Amino acid sequence: MMKAFYSITSTATATWNSRVAEQVRDLLKHIALVGAFARVSLMSELEYRFNFAVRIFTDVIWYIAQLSVFEVLFQHTDSLSGWTLASMRVFMGVLFLTDSIYMMLFSENLDRLSDRIRRGDLDLLLVKPVSSQWMLSFQKISVAYFGNFIISALWLGWSLTQVPDFQWWRLLWLLVCVPCGVIVVYAIRFSTASTALYFTKADAINYIWYQLYRLGTRPDTVYPKVLRYAVLSVLPIAFLASVPAQVILNRTGPEMVLWGIALASLMLAVSSWIWKTGLKRYASASS
Amino acid sequence: MTTYLNKLWGGARLAALEQLTYRFNLFSDVAIQPLIVAAVELTLWLAFFKSTGRSELAGFSQEHYLAYAIWAAFVARISANWMYEWNMIDSVETGSVNAVLVRPISFYSFWLGQFLGYKVLTSSFSLVVPLVVCWAMKLPVQLERLPLALLLVLFYLIFVHTIAVIMSSLAFFFNRVHHVTVAKNITLWMLGGEFFPLDILPEGIREAMIALPFSSAVFRPVGYLTGRLTTAQLGEGFLSIAIGQIVLGSVAFVLWRAGRRRYAGTGA
Repeated sequence: MMKAFYSITSTATATWNSRVAEQVRDLLKHIALVGAFARVSLMSELEYRFNFAVRIFTDVIWYIAQLSVFEVLFQHTDSLSGWTLASMRVFMGVLFLTDSIYMMLFSENLDRLSDRIRRGDLDLLLVKPVSSQWMLSFQKISVAYFGNFIISALWLGWSLTQVPDFQWWRLLWLLVCVPCGVIVVYAIRFSTASTALYFTKADAINYIWYQLYRLGTRPDTVYPKVLRYAVLSVLPIAFLASVPAQVILNRTGPEMVLWGIALASLMLAVSSWIWKTGLKRYASASS
Repeated sequence: MTTYLNKLWGGARLAALEQLTYRFNLFSDVAIQPLIVAAVELTLWLAFFKSTGRSELAGFSQEHYLAYAIWAAFVARISANWMYEWNMIDSVETGSVNAVLVRPISFYSFWLGQFLGYKVLTSSFSLVVPLVVCWAMKLPVQLERLPLALLLVLFYLIFVHTIAVIMSSLAFFFNRVHHVTVAKNITLWMLGGEFFPLDILPEGIREAMIALPFSSAVFRPVGYLTGRLTTAQLGEGFLSIAIGQIVLGSVAFVLWRAGRRRYAGTGA
């Protein structure tokens, strides 16, 4: 009896171990793929160096546009929904930082996704032995945005020096909060772009996404209660910058970070479900 | 003149038909998107007045700023040129401009007809929304000023189209002008006054920004409509666009001719 029990448990353990090993190998393969995509993207982007510089320049102008709103408003007040000019600059720094990572990894891929689905360009991708969602999400890495990442980090660093008694160790929270923010934005954007699998033309939904994104470019405390709950739960765009900024400024507790992790995981699962369900309707020639 | 106007009308009809093919897209373009923008801006102004406890800013009440935010979101969408400028640049880069070059109409007029047709169609739908919202919220708007304000926007559209021709001409000389056009449009967006009325800017910058023709994109027409500006100040907008049109029109003319000379007909 005991022998049989040991035999069963050892077989089960061996099966479990081999499954885990397989999953780890699979994960490593996918990560290596991102590295390969980055190398190819860099080579392709260096072909058009002027373009490289213009992209950074364009985003710097966008940053100035965003900053100008608050810089002008704070000419007429010292506080806006509990935010001072110094803390608002930190908020903008976190926003730019998260945005630059999202732009670097996903923007170009997801901006083209609806079109690729509509034109029926996914065939080659779907037969490859890797996750199609992964391939589509990382295929083109916009290396130029690394410049924006540096600029954003510098701005954030400078803005934090303006905050009295800032505890620099709190920056470590960004290691968790920023990835959560990026995942949330990615998941919402991927889900909206994937609606092209259900509707013939999803341009309108894509445009609406850009407007919803704008909700994340303001601290959640400026919104009325209902909208505030929405951006912290159903449409958690507040995790783009508002929540991470409040965490590092010690205006909210670690429970918000845990909530962010849970939401990011949930949003990612939902995006994957929407994609997989939608793929069943994909008709190749045109969705 | 009649022949020329007929050609423009043909372009306008073409654009209207294209837009009406995808009606949900059109609805989103003219109503949903500007409404979301307006809602985001409204919340910011409400938070501002609530936080400061003030009842006015630069001589105007909270209601004036809410009216400004709503109208600015809609007028900014009318006065921007993303899609057609993008298509114009694309046509030069890919060589599909050849089809326009052999027609008995200039590149400028061919696209102007389509651009204005698209804008007139979308504006006639989208302007209903701020009218209804302002009426429902009882916000201060001087509706008798609407025709003149819209005339300024229409005049500005011709100016914006001239800039689009400059950008398209640059496509003869450089690869991938698209990203430059994004940078240019964000700059115009900032200078237009969609985010906030330009008259609350610090002195010095304020005068310079208002004097530029770009203030006629949003600030002048919306400021006039919501009672911030006088008719004379609106008139200055026409003058500043006219000067801008002469200067940039000349630049567009020279660049287009130079670009055409080096164009081989196979795409830039």
